[in-house]
Amino acid sequence: MATCAVYTTPSLHSCSITSPAKNSLGFHQRKVIFFTSRRITKRGGRSTSEVTCSAEAKTVVIGLAADSGCGKSTFMRRLTSVFGGAAEPPKGGNPDSNTLISDTTTVICLDDYHSLDRTGRKENGVTALDPRANNFDLMYDQVKALKDGVAVDKPIYNHVTGLLDPPELIRPPKILVIEGLHPMFDPRVRELLDFSIYLDISDEVKFAWKIQRDMAERGHSLESIKASIEARKPDFDAYIDPQKQHADAVIEVLPTQLIPGDNEGKVLRVRLIMKEGLKHFSPVYLFDEGSTISWIPCGRKLTCSYPGIKFAYAPDTYYSNEVSVLEMDGQFDRLDELIYVESHLSNLSTKFYGEVTQQMLKHSDFPGSNNGTGLFQTIVGLKIRDLYEQIVAERAAAVAEAAKV
Amino acid sequence: MATAPAGVSTSARGVVSSKAELSKPQLSKGMLRLPWASRRRASSRRLVLVASSPSTPPNISEKVVESIKKAEETCAEDAASGECAAAWDEVEELSAAASHARDKIKASDPLEEYCKDNPETDECRTYED
Repeated sequence: MATCAVYTTPSLHSCSITSPAKNSLGFHQRKVIFFTSRRITKRGGRSTSEVTCSAEAKTVVIGLAADSGCGKSTFMRRLTSVFGGAAEPPKGGNPDSNTLISDTTTVICLDDYHSLDRTGRKENGVTALDPRANNFDLMYDQVKALKDGVAVDKPIYNHVTGLLDPPELIRPPKILVIEGLHPMFDPRVRELLDFSIYLDISDEVKFAWKIQRDMAERGHSLESIKASIEARKPDFDAYIDPQKQHADAVIEVLPTQLIPGDNEGKVLRVRLIMKEGLKHFSPVYLFDEGSTISWIPCGRKLTCSYPGIKFAYAPDTYYSNEVSVLEMDGQFDRLDELIYVESHLSNLSTKFYGEVTQQMLKHSDFPGSNNGTGLFQTIVGLKIRDLYEQIVAERAAAVAEAAKV
Repeated sequence: MATAPAGVSTSARGVVSSKAELSKPQLSKGMLRLPWASRRRASSRRLVLVASSPSTPPNISEKVVESIKKAEETCAEDAASGECAAAWDEVEELSAAASHARDKIKASDPLEEYCKDNPETDECRTYED
């Protein structure tokens, strides 16, 4: 797990101490370089306890916002897979924990920061979407602590019972992902995010997906599903939707334009809206950056089945931000379609040719693996990996600079 | 939308027989014309070997049903109130939990579960070279 997962003392600026002898994990742990503004390592005879803190001490924080039932957990699994390893709930802890932990990543569900449990929300007549049901102060304090390399005791919101369970210990990971309804709602938390993503599902698609999910459920009917969506809509539009203007990447899922009158939500049109001008993020493009492209790969070199695939790429403005939009409409049904498309996209941040295809194939049983949702989630995952590596390299360079001084 | 309604699959598994009485014909209204949600169920019950979607664990399933009833009652009184929205929000939350529970059941393999906790036993030894 994280190298700095030991302790921090309050006097340290933002680092952790580990003494090399106490290596209970049994394998070689990287030495941690100690770096504070006060430089107490040079004082006295303390140099034997090789206290060092590395650039990895500061966690990279990613925020992911979406309504429940909108594929966040699929996104999480794809993301953690890009980094390697499978994300699992913490072993030996509360079985209803919402947290996922892998070697490099920890995913925290922001529902754990509900201030009101289900009964409390019913009494006060607020939905979970309402900011009054969430404790943003605690969210900010804990995310900040994790970012600085301090372990925290995070509450658990049990979705089955609707109660707040006793807290669980979360150690600072290399990458922390906070997923939920309000990652970008509070401005302080927003500042802590190194990258943020918003999953914007259109109403028609949301309805189709919820039908798919709930129709097998006893007690549900079309009317109840519709009523549920509509009752939540005012709060959703007021509190959750505005977060998309702050997101660095928005994945917008819309009904397809290739099949007139389609309302099944099987074929989707997905748009990846990427903010321009960000420090560690270079948008994916098709053929020529900044120009407007419309591309149908199916033709002589590639045969596609109905309804085919259509791509578009263009610069645009989104809530007064400069963005680039990459759009895919249609479905993949063969491997060679996927690899063909991948070979024509640029700036994917892959480490080898075919990495996107390989990741998509690895999880071909996940929903969205044959359309733009899976493709763009995978691409965003690779972009986040690239962002993480750039940040780490930058910090390592900064530490080296400071050490020289 | 190709999942079999729970009513058909669970009656084949012989769980709670009352489930079969729930009016699944509601599904055939409107745009969802599912051919199997019809009278045929009664006569073909013994022939039903449907490769069905995994059923939700009964406790969560009960909670979903209750919450829907409660929400409908609350909203019958006052459709615009916060209580109504909170009630439907609860339905949404429980449906999501039910869906996750279904996925977990679908994904779990008893051998894998055992080996995760006991990797040193004979059944779980792996050789990598």
